[in-house]
Amino acid sequence: MSVNNEEATSTVKQRWTSRSIGSSWQHQSFYLLIRCGGQQAAYLLLYCVVFYYTLLPSIRRKCSFYLSRRFPQAGRWQQFLNSYRMNLALGKVLVDRALVGILGADRLDVKLHGKQELMDLIAAGKGVILVNSHIGCWQVAASVLDFVDTPINLLIQREEGDIDRHHFEHSGGECPYRIIDPRGYLGGVMEMLQVLKRGEVLSVMGDRMLGNDKNGVDINFMGGKVTVPFSAYKLASATGAPIVALLSHKVSGNSYAIKISSTINVPANLGRGKENFTPYAQEYAGILEKYCEEHPFQFFNFFDMWQNKSAD
Amino acid sequence: MSVKEKLKQVLIEDLNIEDVEPDEIADDLALFGEGLGLDSLDAVELVIIIQKHFGVEIKDMVESRPIFESINTLAAYIEANKS
Repeated sequence: MSVNNEEATSTVKQRWTSRSIGSSWQHQSFYLLIRCGGQQAAYLLLYCVVFYYTLLPSIRRKCSFYLSRRFPQAGRWQQFLNSYRMNLALGKVLVDRALVGILGADRLDVKLHGKQELMDLIAAGKGVILVNSHIGCWQVAASVLDFVDTPINLLIQREEGDIDRHHFEHSGGECPYRIIDPRGYLGGVMEMLQVLKRGEVLSVMGDRMLGNDKNGVDINFMGGKVTVPFSAYKLASATGAPIVALLSHKVSGNSYAIKISSTINVPANLGRGKENFTPYAQEYAGILEKYCEEHPFQFFNFFDMWQNKSAD
Repeated sequence: MSVKEKLKQVLIEDLNIEDVEPDEIADDLALFGEGLGLDSLDAVELVIIIQKHFGVEIKDMVESRPIFESINTLAAYIEANKS
């Protein structure tokens, strides 16, 4: 008995982890500095910590998968500098995320572009799928969506023993979003379908496969093939919910910009075959590529997304 | 044609299940994982199939988990809810 959905063609498990490389006491040191001296105090320590970590070949290797494609001409010193800048950008985002949780959201100036467009889409009542990626700071992005009067549901996977805190956990407050665990029944698909039928907002990551998820398609990205999940596009086809790319980037010290990017409309009833959804995943990849051109050090995937696959 | 028979037929046709005849699908065979071998996103297709072919809408996806276990449970739900 076999199911003809061409699975296993692109289902090599991606070797990424969401676990922090720092230990608990290192995190606590940053939190203490934020409480005592604010963002700048934490940044001062961060510069040193990031420099130390960038000296480690294993860390530079993790950066190199992306950076070697974004900056193929870079020499050794430039590669080192680029690794430092990428690690520093991630470090600053993590500090800022803790800053929002510890000292309040008003410590950051977050500009949202496309608010009315998002409100119009929500008002249409078909639900909205926000596709995020590991860029900028999606948690800062989520924190400015408080004007949305419908529940926001996040599909996120948290690894056992992860000591990294979400921003709301610093203040001991309740999670402002509903969490859907992809390790739940049928990968959380029924819950995702339910929230869209209720006209709510569903936020999913569009750049990484979750765990043993087999529901991926191969698309071209930065000169190679990567496997990305297509569940968002399938759900959009089944429910009529529009897909919106949510992009965030750090502009300067305490300033972030959130952009509700172009809407991806997936036709209804595209059926079961994963290849039917590839064009929409590819469209999203195009949005991500443009983002990487504009904000080269705020793309935070520290694993080999390409896994030695060649582009078409 | 009974609901179970029609269900098996539309599953094979709409989900492109190869090398299987309707009468080879046992009524109590698990639909997901081992068994018929459907995956998580096929649940989306199942919801559409039930609405399209039987006119039955599954309103509460989370509460309705047990109906996705087998042909038996799906057919029972359809028979109980079709107008």
